[in-house]
Amino acid sequence: MEPIIISSMPDSNSDLQGFLIIENTSTNWYGQTAIESAIGGNAYQHSKVNQWTTSVVEQTLSQLTKLGKPFKYIVTCVIMQKNGAGLHTASSCFWDNSSDGTCTVRWENKTMYCIVSAFGLAI
Amino acid sequence: PPAERNPTGDQEPPANLSSGQGIPPAPARGTEEGKPPLLLSRRSSILSTLPAPLASRRSSLGAAPGGRRPSIGCPWMLHSHVSFSGLPLFQPVLKTRLENTYRMRPDKGCKFNAGRVQQVLEGALASALGTTVYSPQGSALLAQSLVELLQSQAKEVVPPRYKLVCNVLLGQQGQQSLLVASRALWDPESDSFASATFSNASLFAVATVHGVYFE
Repeated sequence: MEPIIISSMPDSNSDLQGFLIIENTSTNWYGQTAIESAIGGNAYQHSKVNQWTTSVVEQTLSQLTKLGKPFKYIVTCVIMQKNGAGLHTASSCFWDNSSDGTCTVRWENKTMYCIVSAFGLAI
Repeated sequence: PPAERNPTGDQEPPANLSSGQGIPPAPARGTEEGKPPLLLSRRSSILSTLPAPLASRRSSLGAAPGGRRPSIGCPWMLHSHVSFSGLPLFQPVLKTRLENTYRMRPDKGCKFNAGRVQQVLEGALASALGTTVYSPQGSALLAQSLVELLQSQAKEVVPPRYKLVCNVLLGQQGQQSLLVASRALWDPESDSFASATFSNASLFAVATVHGVYFE
């Protein structure tokens, strides 16, 4: 179906604040606080890891939702035990560059690594 | 006296020019526009959409009265607006705004097919990483190229109007434990995700693709 063009005019500032603005200020902070409160001083325990990831993701997501912006969010959390092994993570997104963005927080303590990524997609 | 045929097709009726006589029309509603600056460089726009009374069209004084058709070789005739200096005015690049399609949901049968995307991911991981060995420097680049490959393959099977977020985790195979979790705030009827894992003797990979419908 052909998209219908209604107007051609010089681009004015878009109404949606890009996710980039959010990421620089609050998302980073939300991720950090969520991790700290969930697994702050704990050592890696296999039985508890499930609970930790759930709590980190839920806290981050609820904080983002409270902002009330017109975005859909995806929050990913990876917790890995420290064992000397290496880990690489990469992400690629097919989206609208001007309004969508991402933020990643890395955290570690003596026994584990934690990586939280938040993606915000404008609707 | 024959009325001059207007070559540019503007709205005003052709002026009654006396081509045969030697009297220059003044002030004439010239029918010829965009004439070369012989003496005075006063030129009017060629394809102007202004109504006739507002346009100040004058044939340049000193030009021969009557029909002087602009030749094809004049460069300024190709542009819709011409400035007083004779150089063409380029319009700024316009950003087109598309009309709202009012589509809140994907069409029937056009949803993100998680099972199909998962198969695609598994196939892509297996073929790309078959016997690769983990290396600290090389694996960083491998992860990036792998995620781009996965995204391009996922795009082919995903219906239009879907935004994709692809994630790849590439790690060294050790005796460690790892958990990947994700949660999303989206429309569960139209949005979904697919994930696949792969492991061999020296490395493991976890790939996730989230598909979000763009309203």
